[in-house]
Amino acid sequence: MLKALIVDDEQHCIDRLETLLRSSTYNIKIIAYCKTIDEAIKEIASSTPDILFLDVQLGNGTGFDLLSQLDHIDFEVIFTTSYDKYALKAFKFSALDYLLKPIDNTDLDNALQKLRQQKSLKETSQKIDILFHNFKESNPSSKRIAIPTVAGFTMLDTKQIIRFQSDANYTHIHTLSNKKITASKTIKYFEDILDDNTFFRVHKSHLVNLDYIEAYTKGKGGHITLSDKTRIEVAVRRKDELIQKLRA
Amino acid sequence: MSRPTQKKYCFLLICLVHFFGTSQQNKLDSLKNELQTHTLKDTIRAGLLIELASELTYSEPNKGFSLIEEALAISKKNIWIKGEALAQRQKGNLHYVLADNLNAMDAYQKALVLSRKIPDKQLEASVLSNLGNIHADLKEYDRALENYRAYLETSQAMGNRAEEIKALSNIAIIYNDTENFEEGVSYLNKALTLAKEEGNDLFIAAITNNLALAYKNLGEHQKALFHYQEAMAMAQKIGNKYIEASALNSIGKINVLLNNYAVAETYASNALSLSKEIGAVEWEADSWEVLSKVYEQNGKMPEALNAYKKHIQLRDSVLNEEKKSELTRKEMQFQMERQQAVANEEIKRQQLVKNIYLIGAIFFVLMAMFGYYIYKRRRDELEKKKTAEFNAKVSETELKALRSQMNPHFIFNSLNSISDFISKNDILQADDYLVKFSKLTRAILENSEKKSITLSEDLELMELYMQIETIRLQNKLHHQITIDQDIEPNNTLVPPLILQPFIENSIWHGIAPKNGDGHIDIKIEKEGDMLKYVVDDNGVGQSKKNVRGKKSNGSFGIKITKSRIDILSHIKNKKGSVNLMDKPEGVRVEITLPLELQF
Repeated sequence: MLKALIVDDEQHCIDRLETLLRSSTYNIKIIAYCKTIDEAIKEIASSTPDILFLDVQLGNGTGFDLLSQLDHIDFEVIFTTSYDKYALKAFKFSALDYLLKPIDNTDLDNALQKLRQQKSLKETSQKIDILFHNFKESNPSSKRIAIPTVAGFTMLDTKQIIRFQSDANYTHIHTLSNKKITASKTIKYFEDILDDNTFFRVHKSHLVNLDYIEAYTKGKGGHITLSDKTRIEVAVRRKDELIQKLRA
Repeated sequence: MSRPTQKKYCFLLICLVHFFGTSQQNKLDSLKNELQTHTLKDTIRAGLLIELASELTYSEPNKGFSLIEEALAISKKNIWIKGEALAQRQKGNLHYVLADNLNAMDAYQKALVLSRKIPDKQLEASVLSNLGNIHADLKEYDRALENYRAYLETSQAMGNRAEEIKALSNIAIIYNDTENFEEGVSYLNKALTLAKEEGNDLFIAAITNNLALAYKNLGEHQKALFHYQEAMAMAQKIGNKYIEASALNSIGKINVLLNNYAVAETYASNALSLSKEIGAVEWEADSWEVLSKVYEQNGKMPEALNAYKKHIQLRDSVLNEEKKSELTRKEMQFQMERQQAVANEEIKRQQLVKNIYLIGAIFFVLMAMFGYYIYKRRRDELEKKKTAEFNAKVSETELKALRSQMNPHFIFNSLNSISDFISKNDILQADDYLVKFSKLTRAILENSEKKSITLSEDLELMELYMQIETIRLQNKLHHQITIDQDIEPNNTLVPPLILQPFIENSIWHGIAPKNGDGHIDIKIEKEGDMLKYVVDDNGVGQSKKNVRGKKSNGSFGIKITKSRIDILSHIKNKKGSVNLMDKPEGVRVEITLPLELQF
């Protein structure tokens, strides 16, 4: 049996989640619900929950503020939010779990199942570190990312990544230190997360870090040479946009 | 006009002729007086100036130039060509006397041209003769002959016998100088015949003397002697001691050759005394030579030596004189050639400079044209690109506006749908429906912000939409999506939610009012470089909807979508289209869009 704490400033959201958890097949006991950050901090200290359902937008702050005030996190966190693009992107970067409101029964079940499969609490703590690191880091090219692998997660600095190469439903990530990490996500997943100006999809199978392009050789689409001396073909339809990005 | 180099062998008639015009002091004075009184710048003054310059030729040639220049100026001003020609000839004479052959020739050439312009044959003849003399001096025999021949022709043309004789004699001299003695003799004979006809004894004497020399050179000593005797006799008759002395010397020389030493001595002695009398050093030297040979033969060695010494002495003085003039001539020639060479060089250089400038200018113009062409092409390209970018931006903005209009339209339709569902179902089902609908709404809101999404993403959305509508219509709605094999849904980009308003229209106005199950069939095909959607329903059809006149929202969404397709077609410069057509049962919608691939 897991002890759950719900932090949300709106009663109807708490009620809904409570209803759903009660009818869930997973054995979850709601120990308390809090509406403010202060209440929540006290409650966490006193009741040591296993799971924290945390709303992003709280009346007097955010769920992140709450986490940042804790010395250590020895419980699982599942964020809840209705519509916050900024927060969603942050969760994806750090591979933290979240539920969209109104919460769907199936989604909740999936989240709880994932939670049960998780090996240790250490991972959650690492993911939250990434989350805070990314909040503090204003430079978009040195964000950190949690990469889902078959074995678990690998944390990487985006600065470390030279390129992504697609391999059906997997993606190989080549790093500066010559390591190859195989992620259990499609290349499109990474393209969507890293949609700033640092990474560019030059080809159906290639997403590259623009900072590591050493040379562009003209051709029908042409090809690029990266700092690790790999030559990568550029798709004809990506050529113009790539040149534009390289010039900027 | 003296020709010292040739005096040794022959008498130049031209020289002799000049002796007649030897200046007289009183004539000079009278001319000077006349000039002083006649100050008016007219042809008379010009004539006087030329005459005075002519008188000064041998005494003070340098003073003649200023007079000539004035005469030239007056003649030109009064357009008196003859005066100009005479002045140029006199200028040539002055230069010639000063051994400036180049300028002399230049002046003579001008005089020649002018004389031919007038025309004045007499003048022309004299100028041609002078030109011939200069060329002969410069040993340019071909050109000398050329001028003398022209001189001859001109003389013959005007019937001037004296000039004709001079021309023939001069031609003969050239032949003799070039050792073509037969030709020389032939011309001299012609000249002699004419001179005899004319009865000009001086000419006869001079020509006979020259003829004798020619025979001597041909080795015909008897003929030579005979002619020398004749020349001597004629010279004595007219009292010309030059010809006489020359003839006497020549007779002496031939007698030495014939070993008649006694005769030779007599002639040589006579020649010597005569030469001394007239101060002809050259012939004096000749006489001493003959005498030295005679003494040698007679065994009078001291006399012979003495005579020889005198010969050498005198000869050297003559030779020195000759050498000097030869040197001057050579120098002249060299100067002339050098000037010519320098002039040619200069002309070449100028030509080169001109060519370089021309090539440079052409090159510059070509470069400028090329540069302008490049500049213009680049500018036009930039302009075009800018215009295109601007148009694209405008279109993009319009599309964005249209997409954002889609959102409220969709949300309110959704709310209608939810309210419809809640009114017909229980709370739990309604809640489930609502959660699903919120997911769809979120997805549609997210995707509708994007310019384009992949076909597979768009179809996922449509699938979700139709599933939800299926729940609402309590499984009355069935649908099927077929994608052509040529199409890669993951690599094909489409504008988000293009189909949604048409599907919505089919469901709400076609299938919902219908009794019984409805079917929506979506086909996606590739037609060349276009993507074609075909949506078929078996609903109640368009006409019935219109009769019912309900719900204009569908047509509003369709209107916006049509506008979006129009703008997209404009951006891609391809013709997209939307066609709605009635079928016996239901409606078919065909949408074509420019096919766009991601990679």
